[in-house]
Amino acid sequence: MSLLSQELIDLIRNRSVIKVLVTLDEQGAPYAVRSPFLQIGDTDELVHLELLEKSETNRNLLRSLWHEKKIVISVGDLVIRGRPVKAHISGPLFRQYYEQVRTVIPDADLSTVWLIEPEEVVDESYTIRKQQEEEQFPFSVHLDRLTV
Amino acid sequence: MAQKTTTKLDEVAARYPDVPRLIILKTDVQRRGVFYSDAAIGILDERLHQTTGTHIFGSRDGALTLRPESLLLRDGSSIITTPTPPEEAPYTVDLKDGKPWLFDDGVALEAVDYWPAPDFYSKTSSSGVPMKSIVSARPQRLNIFPYRYCTFWNNNKGCAFCDIVSQLKKGGKELNIPAKLDPREVGEVVGEALKEPGRFSAVFLTSGSIVSGTEPFDDEIDYYIQILQEVGKHFKASKFPSQIIGTAFTKKQLQRLYKETGLMSYTSDIEVLNEELFGKLCPGKAEWIGYREWKKRLVEAVDVFGPGRVNTGLVAGIELTKPYGFAAENEALEHTLAEAEDLAKQGVSTVFIVWSPRPDTPLGDQKNASLDYYIRLARGLHALRVKYRLPIGYDDYRHCGNHPDSDLSRLLPY
Repeated sequence: MSLLSQELIDLIRNRSVIKVLVTLDEQGAPYAVRSPFLQIGDTDELVHLELLEKSETNRNLLRSLWHEKKIVISVGDLVIRGRPVKAHISGPLFRQYYEQVRTVIPDADLSTVWLIEPEEVVDESYTIRKQQEEEQFPFSVHLDRLTV
Repeated sequence: MAQKTTTKLDEVAARYPDVPRLIILKTDVQRRGVFYSDAAIGILDERLHQTTGTHIFGSRDGALTLRPESLLLRDGSSIITTPTPPEEAPYTVDLKDGKPWLFDDGVALEAVDYWPAPDFYSKTSSSGVPMKSIVSARPQRLNIFPYRYCTFWNNNKGCAFCDIVSQLKKGGKELNIPAKLDPREVGEVVGEALKEPGRFSAVFLTSGSIVSGTEPFDDEIDYYIQILQEVGKHFKASKFPSQIIGTAFTKKQLQRLYKETGLMSYTSDIEVLNEELFGKLCPGKAEWIGYREWKKRLVEAVDVFGPGRVNTGLVAGIELTKPYGFAAENEALEHTLAEAEDLAKQGVSTVFIVWSPRPDTPLGDQKNASLDYYIRLARGLHALRVKYRLPIGYDDYRHCGNHPDSDLSRLLPY
């Protein structure tokens, strides 16, 4: 079964929703950037289009692929944990996205089409997390909220 | 009996946790070669995939037959494969769930893709020659092999590992590839290739050495200039991403090459970083230029092309061949890296290819080095690029794909 709910799919397809990709650098420090072209691929993998070869994110994604480190993508209130599984730099799939990018930014280049396999989706919306917190951790609540 | 799930590759990978397993795999595939199963060849489609046929050098099994040109790994890098007879225990490319995978001893290791065919491969030039016989492709690079002969062989002083001349004889007869290309026709094909969006990011040129001219190698320079000028007509700027692997030219020759063309980087392969071995294994290069002069010209090339735009290549493993080579891998590694550092501190980078013993060469019956040796060499050359801050973007996984050491340098910010 796909990890991608309809809500998540709709959020990813909504161009007004900001998507943020978080990778880890060589020291393990997080590095967050927008992923304006984030989309869903043919087999439910996420597609991140990296325009610049030597960007911190491109190098971090490669490090993640090589050494099996996870990455995170934040879309609205939803957080996706996953891992990069393939880098396309040539071929029909690459060309399709290359042309797509250039329709949006005419002088853009495209370094790599990253396929990211989602492994877990966490709903970080406040109402849901608040309910979970209050059910699972009743001792963290401030008492003044519980008075008559 | 339980199915085998690990291979010797895992043992080596465990010793080098800092080196990506994909690079270790790639290196070992280059070291041992590949055998394509009938099923793997069965899914080959010339409309979709590049097939063998235009190599300037030959294969380990000596055959010219339809096979995938090479492989792409899932990190976007390539394995330039050398088809090898099964009795030599190469890796196998076979199908798993209908898709090509690399296997070793029955263990499925990695999914691979065949190199995609560029659009221009289906076209013919205005003179009626198939365009792929004039210019060939790697996933992101246009390859021009303008002259498929090396004049060092005129007096039988070609490099001991090189089969360029025997490959020319085979290719000329069986594949109808012209020995010397017409620069205008090269320009025409490059123009056609560049119509494909997002396909190519560099133009690459190499040929055998041409000793003739007013000064030695002037004819080689003149020919490169003619070709690069034809190619350059297709670009807006005076310079375009490009690399040449040529003989070690004089500074005067290099200045002409740089000023009169759009060329942006220069490679001159010294092949082995040892003066005595250079003399024995590359006698033509030694006769016409010499080891010390070759190094000197590499360093002078940095003045012309700029720091981080000049390198040299090694055919790694020949330094261990009998009877002249190093007896121990540690000694060979130490010596090679010391010489590479001498170049690096003067702005010249060193890359290597894994030596693949070819049947039609004087060294063809010898073995290449251990996988550990190649991994240590890759780490050592990469470390020199870090130490001396040498970019290698003109000879990296996109533009060549045949150097495990420059694969490691993908993570560098420069």
